[in-house]
Amino acid sequence: MQRLVRRATLLITMLLLAGCSSVEQRSGAAEETARRFLQAAANGDGQAACGVLAPSTEAEIDAPCAEGIVDEALTAPSDQAETQVYGQRALVRFADDTVFLAVFPDGWRVVAAGCEPRGERPYDCTVQGG
Amino acid sequence: MRRFLRENSLGLVFGTLFLVVLVAQAFAGHADFNQQQLASGMEPVSLGRYLTSASFAADVAENWQSEYLQFFLYIILTVWLVQRGSPESKKPGEQGLGSDEKQKVGAYATDESPSWARAGGLRRSLLSNSLGLVMGLLFVASWLTQSIAGAAAYNEEQLRDLQEPVTWAQYLTEPDFWNRTLQNWQSELLAVASMVILSIYLRQRGSPESKPVGSPHAATGVEG
Repeated sequence: MQRLVRRATLLITMLLLAGCSSVEQRSGAAEETARRFLQAAANGDGQAACGVLAPSTEAEIDAPCAEGIVDEALTAPSDQAETQVYGQRALVRFADDTVFLAVFPDGWRVVAAGCEPRGERPYDCTVQGG
Repeated sequence: MRRFLRENSLGLVFGTLFLVVLVAQAFAGHADFNQQQLASGMEPVSLGRYLTSASFAADVAENWQSEYLQFFLYIILTVWLVQRGSPESKKPGEQGLGSDEKQKVGAYATDESPSWARAGGLRRSLLSNSLGLVMGLLFVASWLTQSIAGAAAYNEEQLRDLQEPVTWAQYLTEPDFWNRTLQNWQSELLAVASMVILSIYLRQRGSPESKPVGSPHAATGVEG
C-alpha cells in the first residue's frame, strides 16, 4: 500500500513537473513567431508572413498568399506582449492585435491573427483557418 | 518466492491490472487526442508529448480522485452508519469508534500490535485514523491535480476554438470542471450503494465481501 501511494505521488509530481518545465521557453518561441509574422505582414513581406502560417489558415487567404496576407492590413506588433501557452496552443496579445498559434513539427505557426475579443464568444479574426 | 506470490496475490493482481490498464488508457487516449489534432488541421503528437499533456493528467486524475473519495467516505461513514443485512456493515448498535479493548490499543495492545497502538497521544490517534486520513489526503491531492491539469486542458480547447482562456480560480466555476467531477462521483456512489444493498440478498461463495451462502438475509456484519 505504501509503495502504491509513493508511486502515485511520484507519477503526479512527474506529470506536473514535465508539464510546467518548458512553459517559459515555449511561450518565448510562440511570441517570437507571432511578432515575426505581424512584422513581416506590416512591412509588406507577404512571403515571410505566409511562411509561418498554419496550412489550414494559409488555405483561407486569397491567392497568392504573399499578396493576400498584406491586403489584410495587419498592424505591426507592439513592444509589450502577453503570452499564454496551453499544450499545443498559444495566444499572444499585443496592444492592437491578438494572435493564436499552434505547434507543428517545425515549431509554432500562426492559426489566426487580427483578432478582436467578443466576450464569451470566439474572437473575431481577419485571418483564420477554415 | 512462490509462497510470497500466493500470499500477496490480491494486491499483486490488482497492482498489475492497474498498470496494464493505465498503459492501455495511455495508448487509447493518445489515439483519441491525435484524432482531434487532425480534425482541427494540426499534426499528430508523439506518445511522450501526450503522456506529459494536461489532457492525459486530467483524464487520469479525475478518475483517481473519485475512487479515493469513494473509499474515504466508505471508511468514515461505516464507523457511524449501519445497514441491516449487509456484510459490509457493523451490526446495529455497534456504531462508533469501539472500546480500547476491542480495538486492542493502549493497555489492551498485544505483543503483535503495531508499536503506535501501544503508545498514547498523537501517535495512537494517527494510527487509529491513518486509513481514512491517507485516503482523504489522496482524494484532495488527486482532485487538486484534476483541477490544475483540467484547467490547462480546458484552456487548450479554448484556444483551439479562438476563445479566451480562464484562470484556475475561474475554471473551478466552469461547467467542465463540475461535469468531470460529478460524473465520476455519481458512479462511485452508485457502486457503493449497490454493493451495500445487493450484498444483503445476493451471495458469492468464498468471497469475504459476501455473507456465507446459507446466512439469513437479515444477518449483518457476517463475512463468508
